Amino acid sequence: MTEERQPRRDEERAEFREEAESLIRITAAPVIWAAHFLVCYCTIAIACEKAGGTDGVRLALILMSVVALASIAWVGFRSFRQWDVTNTGDFSNPEGEAEDRHQFLGHAAFLLAIISFIGVVYVTMPLVLLRGCT
Amino acid sequence: MTDREETPPPSGKEPDQRAPVGPYPPTEAMLAEPVDPALSAAQTARLKKAWETPKGWRYWSAVNNTEVGVWYSLTALCFMLLAGLMALLIRLQLAVPENDLVSADRFNQLFTMHGSAMMFLFAVPIFEAISILILPALLGARDMPFPRLSAFGYWCFLIGGIFVISSIFFDIAPRAGWFMYPPLATEDPGPGSDIWLLGLSFIEVASIAAAVELIVGSLKCRPPGMRVNIMPLYAWYVMVVGGMILFAFPPLIAGDFLFELERSLDWPFFDPTRGGDPMLWQHLFWIFGHPEVYIVFLPSIAIAAMVVPTVARRPILGYSWIVLSAVGTGFLSFGLWVHHMFTTGLPNISLGFFSAASQAVVIPTGIQIFAFLATLMVGRVKVNLPMLWIAGGLAIFTAGGLTGVMLAIAPFDFQAHDSYFVVAHLHYTLFGGMVFPIIAGVYYFFPFIRKKMLSEKLGKWAFWLIFIGFNMTFLPMHLTGLLGMPRRIYAYPGGLGWDWLNMLSTVASFVIAAGFAVFVFDLIRPKTKQPQIPRNPWGGGTLEWSHDVPEEAWGVRSIPHITSRYPLWDQPKLVERMDAGRYYLPDASEETRETIITSVIDAEPLYIQTVTGPTWKTLWAAGFTGGCFIFPTFGFYEPAVACGIIAACFIIWWLWSDTAWPPKEEMKDAGLGLRLPTYASGPKSVGWWAMWITMLGDATAFSSVIFGFFFYWTAKEDFPPEGAAGPTGWLVLLAVVGILAGWALSLLARNRNRAGDLSTTRIALGVAAVATAIGGASLVFSVLHLDGKEHVYPAVMSAITIWIVAHAAVAVVMQLYCLAGSVFGKMTPRHDADIWNVTLFLHFHAISVLVAGGVMGLAPMVLS
Repeated sequence: MTEERQPRRDEERAEFREEAESLIRITAAPVIWAAHFLVCYCTIAIACEKAGGTDGVRLALILMSVVALASIAWVGFRSFRQWDVTNTGDFSNPEGEAEDRHQFLGHAAFLLAIISFIGVVYVTMPLVLLRGCT
Repeated sequence: MTDREETPPPSGKEPDQRAPVGPYPPTEAMLAEPVDPALSAAQTARLKKAWETPKGWRYWSAVNNTEVGVWYSLTALCFMLLAGLMALLIRLQLAVPENDLVSADRFNQLFTMHGSAMMFLFAVPIFEAISILILPALLGARDMPFPRLSAFGYWCFLIGGIFVISSIFFDIAPRAGWFMYPPLATEDPGPGSDIWLLGLSFIEVASIAAAVELIVGSLKCRPPGMRVNIMPLYAWYVMVVGGMILFAFPPLIAGDFLFELERSLDWPFFDPTRGGDPMLWQHLFWIFGHPEVYIVFLPSIAIAAMVVPTVARRPILGYSWIVLSAVGTGFLSFGLWVHHMFTTGLPNISLGFFSAASQAVVIPTGIQIFAFLATLMVGRVKVNLPMLWIAGGLAIFTAGGLTGVMLAIAPFDFQAHDSYFVVAHLHYTLFGGMVFPIIAGVYYFFPFIRKKMLSEKLGKWAFWLIFIGFNMTFLPMHLTGLLGMPRRIYAYPGGLGWDWLNMLSTVASFVIAAGFAVFVFDLIRPKTKQPQIPRNPWGGGTLEWSHDVPEEAWGVRSIPHITSRYPLWDQPKLVERMDAGRYYLPDASEETRETIITSVIDAEPLYIQTVTGPTWKTLWAAGFTGGCFIFPTFGFYEPAVACGIIAACFIIWWLWSDTAWPPKEEMKDAGLGLRLPTYASGPKSVGWWAMWITMLGDATAFSSVIFGFFFYWTAKEDFPPEGAAGPTGWLVLLAVVGILAGWALSLLARNRNRAGDLSTTRIALGVAAVATAIGGASLVFSVLHLDGKEHVYPAVMSAITIWIVAHAAVAVVMQLYCLAGSVFGKMTPRHDADIWNVTLFLHFHAISVLVAGGVMGLAPMVLS
């Protein structure tokens, strides 16, 4: 461990304590996927029933997809940093130590961000490719 | 430390001041120190006494996970065999064209019960059963945190299951298909639909109880040191599946609630002639129904995640990837429900969303299968019977997954919908994803459960019979379906090209049955002549293989400190030290049952939890709860209410007599120099977590009812109808104020109690109960003038009222329970777990009453 890395490890230690509060953090990206999915579904359902068409809302939803993708990318980037594989070279974090647990949660969150990103891209495709209600 | 123990902390903000004292984690030197054999023997005797299984007829009052888990599994197996017999009858009827073996009506009952029983009486309960049985051992815990809740859940399951499945013998079974679509199911005369609704709702309650137990178990009952990154994958799956149950079952419970109100009171929730909409049921059912497929699939694949590393004799490859696929599948599976409704005329973009999500879920599902294959490829594989079943399962599941990808494409689904192609697909996924891995699990864990081995020879016979029989039965169905044969028909004309395919399926279904006969025979044949098995027959690396042979009821002799994913492989002296009582909780000083509760992420020891022992109370409570659900099926409402009240009394008695009393000693030796508190309240205690998890499910069910309101608004031109009478505004307001006052006063009581101000505490609790009761009563009066039969709008208002008032009644009981606790010395300033749990309930109740107030008081004005 080099000298410059020393302060960062202390920061991380503070973070270990924080995350001891909850496991919820690794679900941030899938939660964004779920919220995006729900908003898309509800908006289209209401637009078709009440407004008679989707033209007005499609663009707004596509823009929202871009925001969702950006947020997931940000979550993914942060998780990747937390995983810290480029520094440690440790892919699987199998040790029973606080640092391994910290990096493992980063890894899991990173992978979930990837899958959520793909999920949002998939769900956005009908918005781009289809129009109308019937 | 002791000083701080005596004086209560100044405010109620801090949940708990008790803290562990002593060294942690243990050093190698501490672990290497030998235990005095005489002391160890004395401890062993006390532990044996504390964990003794009741004998004779009292055996049935046992609540230990090893007993309840076995009963649960065997009961689920019996229901599965009965449902299998129904399948054989279905196949016999379809063997030849224009058959008249059974009548059309009987055939409808058979396929409805076959589906319902396989899903609700086998697939979901077997997950709970197996998890209750093995999870504590995987975690080195002595038992689940709430053994009596498991027992209560089991007895509910048994009573409900017998009730539902026996209806077929009286020719009154449900017959509208396992998903009970209205209007067919709502209009169906006879008690069939009610049996389905009430019987299965009752079992759903048991499922949620088990989910609560299992989630808290895997979060809080892990052994010291077992951080989240090293816990067994099975525990990850249990957590994910438990979470899914909490979000998937409540919409169905809400749907059942509306459905039963329509059946018994004629409130037209699903009747389009009076403003209702049958589509609401389809949505609620499938919001449950699709995640449910993954609820049965994930725990089974979790068994594969335990078997594969043992067989490959190396740690699993891609642990994080499997966690990703479990969590990812858990989420994505909630975005699939409409793929069961592709042909109901929803907007095509909406269909696109669900088609896309159905394709996306393939990715995490595939990842875990690839992780298993990769582990096998790099390991030194030693094929054994469990692995054979896992391999067969993966092959079949992959085939089912591929037809799933086909069906997820909406235009293909339009063609194949309601044909035998779908029947083939769903059986491939369920047999491959669930039945085969479960049987693998039975072979794998049997030596752990029964301390005997199953026969290698019979196992291979059973495997090949079921594997070949299965493929010969269901592979042809793809073709039968593509040739146009619809599902659920009891007879068909000859000459359409279906004849030989159906005959083949029928013959082969008996090959499957033969395979099951071999399997079940192997399971139940007496094995008294078999020599004692080795302790770890498969050479596994996880904690369950530290079990005692011959059997002991205490779970583990002492609870180890874990530092690796495969402790039996990586921690060489672990088992020896566990047996010697070197680790935590080696003693039962008061001869009571105890286990260690640890923190959620890092599994640091927090406190010692007393675990409740054998009792008849849970059995009585389950019996009367059963009465409360079963009597209404036949229209006997008075006995149902009486049963409900008696059941509630038993549950209150059970909680009052044995939970959260101030302990004799505040701190206890936990071994290795560590002293732990013996009482916890608030977020540290398991009870608080159980309440939190239960309320999450409850809130989901309430949201589903509220979803119903907004669904009618989107789907109907005139909802709320022009000029319709609504709830009385000022009474709704009074209800909201009353219930919120009850909430605020209870919070005040919690804080004043912590400060030692007992008189204010008691007054606040008493007034809180009165305010809550007034609130509930006002809500009733606000809708009393409405007629639910007239239109869906008054019906939905009244349904929301019933929901809130029922919860207000529970809140009043809880507030009075705390008041009584304070008066009789159960609840003291230092021992306030009860009021922490009650206020948590009230937080949820306060939010739901605000939402209900908004929907009942404001939404009609805003929306119309």
